Amino acid sequence: MASRIYEWLDSRLKLASLEKTLLDEPIPGGASWIYVFGSATLFLFLLQALTGMFLTVYYTPSPDHAYDSVQFIEQQVTFGWFVRGLHHWGASGMVIAIGLHMLQVFLYGAFKPPREMMWMVGVVLFLLVMAFAFTGYLLPWDQTAYWATQVGINMVGTVPLVGEFLVRVMRGGETLGALTLSRFFAVHVLFLPALIGLGIVVHLFILRRVGPAGPWDERKAAAIREPFYPRQVYMDAVVMVGVFVVLVFLARFVPFPLADKANPADTSFVPVPEWYFLFYYELLKYIHGPLEPLATWVLPAVVILVMLLWPFLDRQKKVRAPASRPVGMALAALFLVSVFSLLGISLKNLYGMKRTDPNIAHGQTLYTNLGCAGCHRIHGNGGAIGPDLSYEGDARPDRQWHINHFRDPQSVSPGSIMPKFPLTEAELQDLTSYMLSLKRIT
Amino acid sequence: MTSSSQAHPPGGTSVSLDGTRRRFFQMVIKASAGFIGLSLAVPFIGYLIAPALKRRTQQWVDVASTLEFPTGVPKQLDYVATVQDGYLETKTQKAVWAVKQADGAVTVFSPMCTHLGCGYHWDGAGQQFKCPCHGSVFDISGRVVAGPAPRPLDVLPSKVDNGRLLVVFKEFKSGVGRQIEL
Repeated sequence: MASRIYEWLDSRLKLASLEKTLLDEPIPGGASWIYVFGSATLFLFLLQALTGMFLTVYYTPSPDHAYDSVQFIEQQVTFGWFVRGLHHWGASGMVIAIGLHMLQVFLYGAFKPPREMMWMVGVVLFLLVMAFAFTGYLLPWDQTAYWATQVGINMVGTVPLVGEFLVRVMRGGETLGALTLSRFFAVHVLFLPALIGLGIVVHLFILRRVGPAGPWDERKAAAIREPFYPRQVYMDAVVMVGVFVVLVFLARFVPFPLADKANPADTSFVPVPEWYFLFYYELLKYIHGPLEPLATWVLPAVVILVMLLWPFLDRQKKVRAPASRPVGMALAALFLVSVFSLLGISLKNLYGMKRTDPNIAHGQTLYTNLGCAGCHRIHGNGGAIGPDLSYEGDARPDRQWHINHFRDPQSVSPGSIMPKFPLTEAELQDLTSYMLSLKRIT
Repeated sequence: MTSSSQAHPPGGTSVSLDGTRRRFFQMVIKASAGFIGLSLAVPFIGYLIAPALKRRTQQWVDVASTLEFPTGVPKQLDYVATVQDGYLETKTQKAVWAVKQADGAVTVFSPMCTHLGCGYHWDGAGQQFKCPCHGSVFDISGRVVAGPAPRPLDVLPSKVDNGRLLVVFKEFKSGVGRQIEL
């Protein structure tokens, strides 16, 4: 039955020859698992487009309703959490996939002649993906979305001459509000998909015209030629299923709830961007004052230009083997190490919690509840009737002294007017632990 | 141009798979497409059609005090109902016709004519409900007296609680002889 339908279509559309053109693409050196990342990126883009389409069925891009509509999708719509989850984690997946794809292409020198245009279109695609991420982030209109976008747009303002104007264009006016949301939505859902669709078609067209690069070893590349179908398609399919399963798992088991509804009046909120922007967020922390524009736009502009024009900056036009390209490899390594180090530092600062001994914490609570600050002062807080306890751990490091003192102050400190505190053994220990923790930091 | 920059290297062995290996790859490709397709199709379809299948839960709405209308004379009671519309909670103006019986019980009618849904009014002189659209006429107990209405006025569930009249607002299909709830 299926073959009859195929024959009917084939006799009218010449499908067989089209199939041959698409699927019989010869891969120099044969199929390999290392080539799957481009297809994985394409798969993830299609998944994003699909889940994104479905999200627009219930999402409303106005400040009044955006938040509620996302909450509605998350809680009321059948499988709404699933569609939203796939879209959220899919975005991260796409950044990872495109990163791996670019890394593999760079490693294999597959940007060198005659493939310079493929690389440049690829860099443009990468930038479009970043634009998708930035515009999409605003749409839920929660505190994170609002303030992260505020920061992002303000960075554009540091560009000389045109900065202020660009900011007003992005915002749709003087403030971040309804006009910002509606244009971010239009860009995210209509303009960017059109551009990236065109970019993907051009990228694949160039690939078909120029052919895949294959291994960097000329002999290996010339030794065998294998058609794209079925083995490379099989490898791509396996990876796509793997990626899909990971996304489903994340959508089901790792929630990412909305923060509070966006409150333009609350300037105390500190936004945190998505993990793939954290390296840049961290870098900005180190560059202040007059040097700030260096980080907000000069460095990004330079990096993007170098990335875009790399096939022309690279003087070695023929040699592709990584071992023969020390400068290229070193620069790539420097770039990766910088980005990942900054990412690592950022994650540590955000999620690494200082360990507090629970006993000391309990002791501190007891200190508050018993009203000790009525007579004693710690780092400026409290009364001046009793001794200052700011560095009590240094002044009196003897645990037993404190235990005795709490039980009967007059027995160890004659003339003291401190009342006796009837505490349990555990409470005495914890309060003492807190006292002993009050030390100068060495 | 040296061979390294040529798109299609000359010579070399062309790998072509056939037989069981080829069939294995084809099977995995088909299975992958099927798995992903199905895993997406089920949630996507549910996502789209769920609101069509959801039935609104019946809610008792406080319409008015039973002291507000006299016995034996139908009165149109206006009230504000809170409607859950997707993620929106909106307040809409609604109205029902209420007739208080001698024994204190209240009959509440849907305000829509059973012919085509127009709003009818009470004619005190003729002691009848009259619909201005196509001339349907109903008596005080809702029975059709004249005109194209196919069934009596729809009675809405109501109860009197602490002197307040509570109603469950329902809508019914117009133009049919049987009462079918929408």
